[in-house]
Amino acid sequence: MGGVVAILGFVLFQALTSARVFFRNVDEAVAERAELGDTTFRMQGVVVTEPAEDARGAITFAVSFNDVDATILHVGEEPSDLFELGMPVVVDGHWEDDVFVSQQILVKHSESYVADNEDRPGVGEGTDADSGVPLDDAETNDDEVSASDDR
Amino acid sequence: MGWEYVVPGYLIVFGVLAIYAVSLIRRGRRLSEQLPPEKRRFLD
Amino acid sequence: MTTEISPEPASKTTTMTDAVTSTGSKVTRVLGALSLVSIALLLAFGLLVSPPEIAQGDSVRLFYIHVPSAIVCLYIAFSITLVGSIIYLRNQSTFWDLMAGAAAEVGVVFLGFTLVTGMLWGKPTWGTYWTWDPRLTSTAVSFVLYLGYLAVRRLDMDPVARSKRAAILGIISFANLIIIRYSVAWWRSLHQGQTLDPRDTQLDNTMLFSFVLGVLALTMTFAWLVIHRFRIAWLEHQLEAQQLELAIAERTSQGPTGLAHGGA
Repeated sequence: MGGVVAILGFVLFQALTSARVFFRNVDEAVAERAELGDTTFRMQGVVVTEPAEDARGAITFAVSFNDVDATILHVGEEPSDLFELGMPVVVDGHWEDDVFVSQQILVKHSESYVADNEDRPGVGEGTDADSGVPLDDAETNDDEVSASDDR
Repeated sequence: MGWEYVVPGYLIVFGVLAIYAVSLIRRGRRLSEQLPPEKRRFLD
Repeated sequence: MTTEISPEPASKTTTMTDAVTSTGSKVTRVLGALSLVSIALLLAFGLLVSPPEIAQGDSVRLFYIHVPSAIVCLYIAFSITLVGSIIYLRNQSTFWDLMAGAAAEVGVVFLGFTLVTGMLWGKPTWGTYWTWDPRLTSTAVSFVLYLGYLAVRRLDMDPVARSKRAAILGIISFANLIIIRYSVAWWRSLHQGQTLDPRDTQLDNTMLFSFVLGVLALTMTFAWLVIHRFRIAWLEHQLEAQQLELAIAERTSQGPTGLAHGGA
C-alpha cells in the first residue's frame, strides 16, 4: 500500500512539474523570449524548411505557428522517421539568443490514416519529392495545429 | 517500418490475455472443489 | 468440460453427482468461442490484410489494439466498477461489490495493454516511448489509482468496511477518467484527438474494419474474463461464509467455554 502511495506521489509530482512545460506555440514563445531567458519549455509549430543535418548530427530547421517563425538547432536524440518538412512538431529546449536549442523533437501524428497502397494511381503525384507525404496533407496538419491554438 | 514495435505489442497483449484466462479457469476449479455443488452452480 | 467424479464416498459436504468444478457455463463457452474467432480475425486483418499507413508504415497496426484496449477499460470496465460501487454504497449488494472488483481487475489488465501498446506506438511515431503529456500523465495516474483500488480490496480488515472503502475509491478513480477523456481538448497535447470523431477523421476502409474487429474482439474477451473473475470472487465469498459457519458450529459444539472465547 505504501508503495502505491509513493508511486502515485511520483506520478502527481511529474504531472504538476510538467504542467509548466505544457506547449507554447511558436508565436507565444517568440513574444515571451525575454521573460523565458534560458528556461526549458516545449514549443509547437510546423516544420517549414527542409531540415539540414551537419557533420556532428545537429539538425537545423525552422518551425512556424501563426505566421511567426523560429530557427531550431536540434542537438538531442535523433527524431522519429516521421520527422520531415510539413510535419507538426513539439520541440523541448530553450532559447539561446534568437535560436531555439532543442534537446528533443516529438512529431505529432494526425488523426488521418491513409493506406500506403502502391497499386493506387496518383500516389507520388503532388507529393513532396523525398517525403512521400502529400503536400495538402501537410497543410491539413498546419490547420490542425492552428485550430488547437484556440483551446 | 515499425514491425519491431508491432510484434512485441501483439505478443504482450495476446500472451498476457492467454495466461490470465488460463489462470482464471484454474483458480475457479480449485475453489469449486472446496465447495458443495449446490453452492457452485452458475446460470447455464 | 471434464466432469470429475469423486473416487471415494464423498464427505458430507459433497455429493457424487454433478461434481462439475468449472466456472464456465453455456453462455461463457459461446462467448469464449466467439472471442477466439474474433481474435483470430483481428490478427489476420490487423497484421496481414490491412495495409501499412502512408507515413507511419506498419506501426499503425498497434492502433487496432491500443484504441480498443483503451475503449474497453475506460468506457466499459471502470464504468462497471463505478456503477457497482454506487449500488454497493446504497444497498450493500454483495453481487455489485464483487462485480465492481472483478471489472476493476480485468480493467487494470486492459489499461496496462493501453499503456504498453501506446508506448510501443509512441517510439516510432512521436520519437519517444513516454513523455509527461496531459493524456499520458492522466492515464498513468488512473493506472495507479486502480492498482490502489485493487490493493484496498485485499486489505486484511473487516469485509464490510473494506468494501465501503473500495467503493469510495472506485468512484473517486472514475473522476480521473473524465480528465483522460477530455485531456486532449483541455490542454495542448502531443496525443492525437478522438480518433472516432467522424468529422475530421480520415480512415482507410480496411483499417476501419480492422479497428472495429479490435473493439469487438477485446470487448468479448473482456466480458468472458469478467464473468470468470466474478465467479471466482463469488466462490471465494461462499467459501469464506462456509468456513465461518464451520468455525461457529465447531465452537458451539465445544460448549459454552469455546463459545465465550470465540465470541470475543
